[in-house]
Amino acid sequence: MRAGSDTPAELKVLVEAFNEMLAQIELRDRELREARDELERRVELRTAELAAANKELESFSYSVSHDLRAPLRSIDGFSLAVLQDYGERLDAEARGYFERIRAATRRMGMLIDDMLNLARVARAEMRRERVNLTAMAQAIVADLRKTDGSRKVDCIIEENIVADGDAHLLRVALDNLLGNAWKYTSKHPTARIEFGQAQPNGHRVYFVKDDGAGFDPAYAAKLFGAFQRLHGSSDFPGTGVGLATVQRIVQRHGGRIWAEAAVEKGATFYFTV
Amino acid sequence: MTDQVILLVEDNPDDQALTLRALKKNQIMNQVVVAQDGVEALEYLFCTGPHAGRNPDEMPQVILLDLKLPRVDGFEVLRCIRENARTRFLPVVILTTSNEEQDRVKGYGLGANSYVRKPVEFTEFIQAVKQLGLYWLLLNQNAPISRSA
Repeated sequence: MRAGSDTPAELKVLVEAFNEMLAQIELRDRELREARDELERRVELRTAELAAANKELESFSYSVSHDLRAPLRSIDGFSLAVLQDYGERLDAEARGYFERIRAATRRMGMLIDDMLNLARVARAEMRRERVNLTAMAQAIVADLRKTDGSRKVDCIIEENIVADGDAHLLRVALDNLLGNAWKYTSKHPTARIEFGQAQPNGHRVYFVKDDGAGFDPAYAAKLFGAFQRLHGSSDFPGTGVGLATVQRIVQRHGGRIWAEAAVEKGATFYFTV
Repeated sequence: MTDQVILLVEDNPDDQALTLRALKKNQIMNQVVVAQDGVEALEYLFCTGPHAGRNPDEMPQVILLDLKLPRVDGFEVLRCIRENARTRFLPVVILTTSNEEQDRVKGYGLGANSYVRKPVEFTEFIQAVKQLGLYWLLLNQNAPISRSA
Protein backbone atom coordinates (compact mmCIF):
# COMPACT_ATOMS: atom_id res chain seq x y z
CA MET A 1 0.00 0.00 0.00
CA ARG A 2 1.21 3.48 -0.74
CA ALA A 3 0.27 6.77 0.86
CA GLY A 4 0.44 9.75 -1.42
CA SER A 5 1.63 13.22 -0.37
CA ASP A 6 -1.89 14.50 -0.21
CA THR A 7 -3.29 11.63 1.83
CA PRO A 8 -4.75 12.71 5.17
CA ALA A 9 -2.45 11.97 8.15
CA GLU A 10 -4.75 9.41 9.80
CA LEU A 11 -4.88 7.44 6.58
CA LYS A 12 -1.09 7.54 6.39
CA VAL A 13 -0.87 6.01 9.84
CA LEU A 14 -3.32 3.30 8.79
CA VAL A 15 -1.37 2.56 5.64
CA GLU A 16 1.89 2.31 7.57
CA ALA A 17 0.27 0.01 10.08
CA PHE A 18 -0.99 -2.25 7.29
CA ASN A 19 2.41 -2.25 5.61
CA GLU A 20 4.04 -3.17 8.88
CA MET A 21 1.51 -6.02 9.31
CA LEU A 22 2.14 -7.25 5.77
CA ALA A 23 5.89 -7.26 6.37
CA GLN A 24 5.35 -9.26 9.57
CA ILE A 25 3.10 -11.72 7.77
CA GLU A 26 5.64 -12.15 4.99
CA LEU A 27 8.37 -12.73 7.57
CA ARG A 28 6.28 -15.31 9.45
CA ASP A 29 5.40 -16.94 6.17
CA ARG A 30 9.06 -17.30 5.24
CA GLU A 31 9.95 -18.64 8.69
CA LEU A 32 7.11 -21.20 8.47
CA ARG A 33 8.26 -22.37 5.06
CA GLU A 34 11.82 -22.75 6.28
CA ALA A 35 10.65 -24.66 9.35
CA ARG A 36 8.55 -26.96 7.20
CA ASP A 37 11.43 -27.62 4.82
CA GLU A 38 13.68 -28.38 7.79
CA LEU A 39 11.04 -30.78 9.18
CA GLU A 40 10.67 -32.53 5.85
CA ARG A 41 14.42 -32.93 5.66
CA ARG A 42 14.49 -34.41 9.16
CA VAL A 43 11.65 -36.82 8.36
CA GLU A 44 13.48 -38.00 5.26
CA LEU A 45 16.61 -38.54 7.31
CA ARG A 46 14.77 -40.47 10.02
CA THR A 47 12.95 -42.58 7.44
CA ALA A 48 16.23 -43.50 5.80
CA GLU A 49 17.73 -44.32 9.22
CA LEU A 50 14.71 -46.46 10.07
CA ALA A 51 14.91 -48.30 6.76
CA ALA A 52 18.61 -48.99 7.34
CA ALA A 53 17.98 -50.17 10.90
CA ASN A 54 15.20 -52.45 9.72
CA LYS A 55 17.42 -53.97 7.07
CA GLU A 56 20.16 -54.58 9.62
CA LEU A 57 17.68 -56.18 12.00
CA GLU A 58 16.42 -58.35 9.18
CA SER A 59 19.83 -59.78 8.38
CA PHE A 60 20.65 -60.04 12.08
CA SER A 61 17.52 -62.10 12.76
CA TYR A 62 18.23 -64.24 9.76
CA SER A 63 21.82 -64.94 10.82
CA VAL A 64 20.84 -65.52 14.41
CA SER A 65 18.20 -68.08 13.57
CA HIS A 66 20.50 -69.90 11.16
CA ASP A 67 23.54 -69.90 13.41
CA LEU A 68 21.65 -70.70 16.60
CA ARG A 69 19.90 -73.67 15.07
CA ALA A 70 23.00 -75.49 13.93
CA PRO A 71 24.41 -76.26 17.40
CA LEU A 72 20.90 -77.23 18.51
CA ARG A 73 20.84 -79.84 15.83
CA SER A 74 24.17 -81.17 17.03
CA ILE A 75 23.00 -81.36 20.63
CA ASP A 76 19.79 -83.15 19.70
CA GLY A 77 21.40 -85.41 17.13
CA PHE A 78 24.28 -86.64 19.24
CA SER A 79 22.13 -87.06 22.33
CA LEU A 80 19.91 -89.32 20.29
CA ALA A 81 23.00 -91.07 18.92
CA VAL A 82 24.12 -91.87 22.49
CA LEU A 83 20.65 -93.21 23.31
CA GLN A 84 20.50 -95.29 20.18
CA ASP A 85 24.03 -96.69 20.33
CA TYR A 86 24.65 -96.96 24.08
CA GLY A 87 21.10 -96.96 25.44
CA GLU A 88 21.20 -100.51 26.82
CA ARG A 89 24.36 -99.74 28.79
CA LEU A 90 22.71 -96.77 30.48
CA ASP A 91 20.31 -96.96 33.38
CA ALA A 92 16.85 -95.37 33.25
CA GLU A 93 18.07 -92.25 35.04
CA ALA A 94 20.84 -91.57 32.52
CA ARG A 95 18.44 -92.14 29.65
CA GLY A 96 16.08 -89.69 31.34
CA TYR A 97 18.84 -87.06 31.47
CA PHE A 98 19.38 -87.37 27.74
CA GLU A 99 15.68 -87.05 27.10
CA ARG A 100 15.69 -83.83 29.10
CA ILE A 101 18.57 -82.54 26.99
CA ARG A 102 16.63 -83.32 23.83
CA ALA A 103 13.41 -81.75 25.12
CA ALA A 104 15.27 -78.58 26.09
CA THR A 105 16.85 -78.44 22.65
CA ARG A 106 13.50 -78.74 20.94
CA ARG A 107 12.12 -76.04 23.16
CA MET A 108 14.97 -73.70 22.26
CA GLY A 109 14.27 -74.38 18.61
CA MET A 110 10.66 -73.33 19.13
CA LEU A 111 11.74 -70.21 20.98
CA ILE A 112 14.01 -69.19 18.12
CA ASP A 113 11.19 -69.67 15.63
CA ASP A 114 8.74 -67.70 17.75
CA MET A 115 11.19 -64.85 18.34
CA LEU A 116 11.85 -64.65 14.64
CA ASN A 117 8.13 -64.48 13.95
CA LEU A 118 7.61 -61.75 16.51
CA ALA A 119 10.42 -59.72 15.01
CA ARG A 120 9.08 -60.25 11.53
CA VAL A 121 5.59 -59.14 12.56
CA ALA A 122 7.00 -55.97 14.05
CA ARG A 123 8.81 -55.14 10.83
CA ALA A 124 6.50 -56.31 8.10
CA GLU A 125 5.05 -53.82 5.66
CA MET A 126 1.34 -53.37 6.21
CA ARG A 127 -1.17 -53.33 3.41
CA ARG A 128 -4.72 -52.46 4.43
CA GLU A 129 -7.66 -54.03 2.67
CA ARG A 130 -11.11 -55.44 3.41
CA VAL A 131 -10.56 -58.82 5.06
CA ASN A 132 -13.23 -61.45 5.60
CA LEU A 133 -12.52 -62.57 9.15
CA THR A 134 -15.37 -65.08 9.19
CA ALA A 135 -13.85 -67.05 6.32
CA MET A 136 -10.40 -66.74 7.90
CA ALA A 137 -11.61 -68.06 11.26
CA GLN A 138 -13.43 -70.94 9.57
CA ALA A 139 -10.27 -71.95 7.73
CA ILE A 140 -8.22 -71.81 10.93
CA VAL A 141 -10.74 -73.93 12.82
CA ALA A 142 -10.82 -76.45 9.96
CA ASP A 143 -7.02 -76.76 10.24
CA LEU A 144 -7.21 -77.16 14.02
CA ARG A 145 -9.77 -79.92 13.63
CA LYS A 146 -7.43 -81.68 11.22
CA THR A 147 -4.59 -81.67 13.74
CA ASP A 148 -6.74 -83.35 16.37
CA GLY A 149 -9.86 -85.02 15.05
CA SER A 150 -10.68 -86.60 18.38
CA ARG A 151 -11.55 -83.35 20.11
CA LYS A 152 -15.18 -82.37 20.61
CA VAL A 153 -15.17 -78.63 20.12
CA ASP A 154 -18.20 -76.48 19.31
CA CYS A 155 -17.07 -73.53 17.21
CA ILE A 156 -19.50 -70.67 16.78
CA ILE A 157 -18.24 -68.23 14.19
CA GLU A 158 -20.42 -65.22 13.48
CA GLU A 159 -21.25 -64.56 9.84
CA ASN A 160 -20.04 -61.58 7.82
CA ILE A 161 -17.32 -60.33 10.10
CA VAL A 162 -15.04 -58.04 8.13
CA ALA A 163 -12.15 -55.82 9.09
CA ASP A 164 -9.91 -53.27 7.43
CA GLY A 165 -6.38 -54.45 7.89
CA ASP A 166 -3.38 -56.38 6.66
CA ALA A 167 -4.64 -59.83 5.66
CA HIS A 168 -1.44 -61.66 6.50
CA LEU A 169 -0.97 -60.07 9.92
CA LEU A 170 -4.64 -60.56 10.82
CA ARG A 171 -4.26 -64.21 9.91
CA VAL A 172 -1.31 -64.54 12.30
CA ALA A 173 -3.34 -62.82 15.04
CA LEU A 174 -6.40 -65.04 14.59
CA ASP A 175 -4.18 -68.13 14.33
CA ASN A 176 -2.78 -67.30 17.74
CA LEU A 177 -6.09 -66.40 19.40
CA LEU A 178 -8.03 -69.37 18.06
CA GLY A 179 -5.05 -71.66 18.57
CA ASN A 180 -4.90 -70.58 22.19
CA ALA A 181 -8.63 -71.14 22.64
CA TRP A 182 -8.15 -74.62 21.20
CA LYS A 183 -5.14 -75.33 23.39
CA TYR A 184 -6.51 -74.07 26.68
CA THR A 185 -9.77 -76.03 26.31
CA SER A 186 -7.89 -79.26 25.65
CA LYS A 187 -8.17 -80.54 29.22
CA HIS A 188 -11.97 -80.47 29.12
CA PRO A 189 -13.97 -83.30 27.50
CA THR A 190 -15.96 -80.82 25.44
CA ALA A 191 -15.28 -77.21 24.54
CA ARG A 192 -17.01 -74.17 23.12
CA ILE A 193 -15.12 -71.52 21.17
CA GLU A 194 -16.77 -68.39 19.82
CA PHE A 195 -15.57 -65.75 17.39
CA GLY A 196 -17.78 -62.70 16.95
CA GLN A 197 -18.07 -58.95 16.99
CA ALA A 198 -19.86 -56.44 19.16
CA GLN A 199 -20.45 -52.69 18.92
CA PRO A 200 -20.46 -51.26 22.45
CA ASN A 201 -20.24 -47.45 22.19
CA GLY A 202 -20.44 -47.62 18.43
CA HIS A 203 -16.87 -48.94 18.01
CA ARG A 204 -16.53 -52.38 16.50
CA VAL A 205 -14.87 -54.89 18.83
CA TYR A 206 -13.97 -58.43 17.81
CA PHE A 207 -13.72 -61.23 20.36
CA VAL A 208 -12.54 -64.81 20.74
CA LYS A 209 -14.13 -66.60 23.65
CA ASP A 210 -13.49 -70.04 25.10
CA ASP A 211 -14.68 -72.00 28.13
CA GLY A 212 -11.34 -73.56 28.99
CA ALA A 213 -8.70 -73.16 31.65
CA GLY A 214 -8.88 -69.40 31.70
CA PHE A 215 -6.38 -67.51 33.81
CA ASP A 216 -6.20 -65.67 37.12
CA PRO A 217 -7.08 -62.02 36.38
CA ALA A 218 -4.65 -60.99 39.10
CA TYR A 219 -1.86 -61.73 36.61
CA ALA A 220 -3.56 -60.06 33.66
CA ALA A 221 -0.77 -57.48 33.38
CA LYS A 222 1.65 -60.22 32.36
CA LEU A 223 -0.66 -61.61 29.71
CA PHE A 224 0.81 -59.81 26.71
CA GLY A 225 4.44 -59.70 27.79
CA ALA A 226 6.82 -61.57 25.52
CA PHE A 227 7.89 -64.88 27.03
CA GLN A 228 5.54 -64.37 29.97
CA ARG A 229 3.28 -67.28 30.72
CA LEU A 230 0.49 -67.78 33.20
CA HIS A 231 0.55 -71.58 33.01
CA GLY A 232 3.34 -74.12 33.43
CA SER A 233 4.65 -75.82 30.32
CA SER A 234 3.74 -79.20 31.74
CA ASP A 235 0.10 -78.01 31.84
CA PHE A 236 0.00 -76.36 28.45
CA PRO A 237 2.95 -76.17 26.04
CA GLY A 238 3.99 -72.78 24.71
CA THR A 239 6.73 -70.19 24.57
CA GLY A 240 4.81 -67.16 25.73
CA VAL A 241 5.24 -65.22 22.50
CA GLY A 242 1.80 -65.78 20.95
CA LEU A 243 -0.11 -63.02 22.74
CA ALA A 244 2.82 -60.62 22.48
CA THR A 245 2.67 -61.19 18.74
CA VAL A 246 -1.08 -60.56 18.63
CA GLN A 247 -0.69 -57.39 20.64
CA ARG A 248 2.01 -56.16 18.27
CA ILE A 249 -0.23 -56.79 15.30
CA VAL A 250 -3.23 -55.09 16.90
CA GLN A 251 -1.09 -52.09 17.87
CA ARG A 252 0.29 -51.78 14.36
CA HIS A 253 -3.31 -51.45 13.22
CA GLY A 254 -3.86 -48.71 15.75
CA GLY A 255 -6.12 -50.93 17.88
CA ARG A 256 -6.23 -52.38 21.40
CA ILE A 257 -6.46 -55.83 22.88
CA TRP A 258 -7.64 -56.84 26.33
CA ALA A 259 -8.97 -59.94 28.03
CA GLU A 260 -11.40 -61.11 30.68
CA ALA A 261 -11.17 -64.45 32.42
CA ALA A 262 -11.43 -66.50 35.56
CA VAL A 263 -9.61 -69.69 36.50
CA GLU A 264 -11.30 -72.71 34.89
CA LYS A 265 -14.09 -70.43 33.63
CA GLY A 266 -12.61 -69.68 30.24
CA ALA A 267 -11.29 -66.48 28.71
CA THR A 268 -12.48 -63.85 26.27
CA PHE A 269 -10.03 -61.80 24.26
CA TYR A 270 -11.32 -58.54 22.80
CA PHE A 271 -9.54 -56.50 20.14
CA THR A 272 -10.05 -53.57 17.80
CA VAL A 273 -8.11 -52.79 14.64
CA MET B 1 21.78 -98.94 -7.22
CA THR B 2 24.57 -98.63 -4.68
CA ASP B 3 27.15 -97.48 -7.21
CA GLN B 4 25.27 -94.21 -7.31
CA VAL B 5 27.16 -91.49 -5.49
CA ILE B 6 25.63 -88.88 -3.23
CA LEU B 7 27.46 -85.56 -3.14
CA LEU B 8 26.98 -83.86 0.22
CA VAL B 9 28.04 -80.23 0.28
CA GLU B 10 28.18 -79.26 3.95
CA ASP B 11 30.71 -77.28 5.96
CA ASN B 12 29.56 -78.10 9.48
CA PRO B 13 31.34 -81.27 10.66
CA ASP B 14 28.53 -82.13 13.10
CA ASP B 15 25.95 -81.86 10.32
CA GLN B 16 28.18 -84.00 8.10
CA ALA B 17 28.34 -86.71 10.78
CA LEU B 18 24.61 -86.51 11.48
CA THR B 19 23.68 -86.69 7.79
CA LEU B 20 25.94 -89.70 7.28
CA ARG B 21 24.41 -91.27 10.37
CA ALA B 22 20.88 -90.61 9.09
CA LEU B 23 21.75 -92.23 5.77
CA LYS B 24 23.16 -95.26 7.56
CA LYS B 25 20.13 -95.53 9.84
CA ASN B 26 18.05 -95.76 6.70
CA GLN B 27 20.24 -98.47 5.24
CA ILE B 28 21.33 -96.18 2.44
CA MET B 29 24.71 -97.67 1.61
CA ASN B 30 25.66 -95.46 -1.32
CA GLN B 31 29.05 -93.84 -1.37
CA VAL B 32 28.82 -90.32 0.01
CA VAL B 33 31.34 -87.74 -1.17
CA VAL B 34 31.57 -84.85 1.25
CA ALA B 35 32.62 -81.39 0.06
CA GLN B 36 33.38 -78.93 2.84
CA ASP B 37 32.50 -75.84 0.84
CA GLY B 38 31.51 -74.59 -2.61
CA VAL B 39 35.04 -74.69 -3.99
CA GLU B 40 35.50 -78.38 -3.14
CA ALA B 41 32.05 -79.18 -4.56
CA LEU B 42 32.89 -77.56 -7.88
CA GLU B 43 36.33 -79.17 -7.99
CA TYR B 44 34.67 -82.56 -7.56
CA LEU B 45 31.98 -81.96 -10.15
CA PHE B 46 34.32 -80.54 -12.77
CA CYS B 47 37.27 -82.85 -12.03
CA THR B 48 39.74 -80.13 -11.16
CA GLY B 49 42.17 -79.53 -8.31
CA PRO B 50 42.40 -82.57 -5.99
CA HIS B 51 39.84 -84.36 -8.20
CA ALA B 52 41.71 -83.82 -11.47
CA GLY B 53 41.97 -87.55 -12.11
CA ARG B 54 38.27 -88.25 -11.66
CA ASN B 55 36.23 -89.71 -14.54
CA PRO B 56 34.01 -86.85 -15.78
CA ASP B 57 31.39 -89.30 -17.08
CA GLU B 58 30.63 -90.32 -13.53
CA MET B 59 28.32 -87.81 -11.88
CA PRO B 60 26.53 -88.03 -8.52
CA GLN B 61 22.98 -89.34 -8.50
CA VAL B 62 21.91 -86.45 -6.30
CA ILE B 63 23.53 -83.41 -4.69
CA LEU B 64 22.57 -82.41 -1.14
CA LEU B 65 23.49 -78.77 -0.94
CA ASP B 66 23.71 -76.55 2.11
CA LEU B 67 23.40 -72.82 1.44
CA LYS B 68 25.69 -71.25 3.99
CA LEU B 69 29.16 -72.34 2.98
CA PRO B 70 32.53 -70.62 3.31
CA ARG B 71 34.44 -69.42 0.23
CA VAL B 72 31.79 -70.18 -2.39
CA ASP B 73 28.21 -70.39 -1.10
CA GLY B 74 25.41 -72.78 -2.06
CA PHE B 75 23.72 -70.41 -4.49
CA GLU B 76 26.94 -69.90 -6.41
CA VAL B 77 27.49 -73.67 -6.62
CA LEU B 78 23.95 -74.10 -7.91
CA ARG B 79 24.47 -71.40 -10.52
CA CYS B 80 27.65 -73.09 -11.78
CA ILE B 81 25.97 -76.49 -11.87
CA ARG B 82 23.09 -75.18 -13.97
CA GLU B 83 25.35 -73.23 -16.30
CA ASN B 84 27.49 -76.17 -17.31
CA ALA B 85 26.17 -78.59 -19.92
CA ARG B 86 27.70 -81.63 -18.21
CA THR B 87 26.04 -80.92 -14.88
CA ARG B 88 22.98 -78.97 -15.94
CA PHE B 89 20.42 -81.69 -15.16
CA LEU B 90 21.91 -83.08 -11.96
CA PRO B 91 19.27 -83.17 -9.21
CA VAL B 92 20.09 -80.65 -6.52
CA VAL B 93 18.30 -80.80 -3.20
CA ILE B 94 18.91 -77.72 -1.08
CA LEU B 95 19.21 -78.97 2.49
CA THR B 96 19.49 -76.03 4.78
CA THR B 97 18.46 -74.51 8.10
CA SER B 98 16.95 -71.46 6.50
CA ASN B 99 13.26 -71.36 5.82
CA GLU B 100 13.39 -67.78 4.67
CA GLU B 101 11.14 -67.12 1.71
CA GLN B 102 13.86 -65.17 -0.05
CA ASP B 103 16.17 -68.19 0.05
CA ARG B 104 13.51 -70.53 -1.28
CA VAL B 105 12.68 -68.13 -4.10
CA LYS B 106 16.34 -67.66 -4.96
CA GLY B 107 17.03 -71.40 -4.79
CA TYR B 108 14.19 -72.32 -7.09
CA GLY B 109 15.02 -69.36 -9.30
CA LEU B 110 18.53 -70.74 -9.78
CA GLY B 111 17.14 -74.15 -10.67
CA ALA B 112 17.10 -76.24 -7.50
CA ASN B 113 14.96 -79.36 -7.77
CA SER B 114 13.93 -79.43 -4.17
CA TYR B 115 14.21 -77.44 -0.96
CA VAL B 116 14.28 -79.25 2.37
CA ARG B 117 14.62 -77.55 5.70
CA LYS B 118 16.96 -79.27 8.17
CA PRO B 119 14.90 -79.92 11.30
CA VAL B 120 16.45 -79.34 14.71
CA GLU B 121 15.06 -82.65 15.94
CA PHE B 122 17.17 -85.56 14.80
CA THR B 123 14.38 -88.15 14.54
CA GLU B 124 12.64 -85.84 12.10
CA PHE B 125 15.90 -85.49 10.20
CA ILE B 126 16.26 -89.27 9.92
CA GLN B 127 12.74 -89.38 8.49
CA ALA B 128 13.52 -86.58 6.03
CA VAL B 129 16.69 -88.29 4.84
CA LYS B 130 14.79 -91.56 4.45
CA GLN B 131 12.27 -89.90 2.17
CA LEU B 132 14.96 -88.08 0.23
CA GLY B 133 16.83 -91.35 -0.26
CA LEU B 134 13.75 -93.29 -1.36
CA TYR B 135 12.81 -90.64 -3.85
CA TRP B 136 16.08 -89.47 -5.40
CA LEU B 137 17.93 -92.77 -5.32
CA LEU B 138 15.16 -95.22 -6.12
CA LEU B 139 12.16 -93.55 -7.70
CA ASN B 140 13.52 -90.61 -9.64
CA GLN B 141 15.07 -91.14 -13.07
CA ASN B 142 17.97 -88.83 -13.87
CA ALA B 143 18.72 -87.29 -17.26
CA PRO B 144 21.48 -89.07 -19.16
CA ILE B 145 24.93 -87.55 -18.65
CA SER B 146 25.63 -85.12 -21.46
CA ARG B 147 28.89 -85.89 -23.15
CA SER B 148 29.23 -82.52 -24.86
CA ALA B 149 31.12 -79.52 -23.41
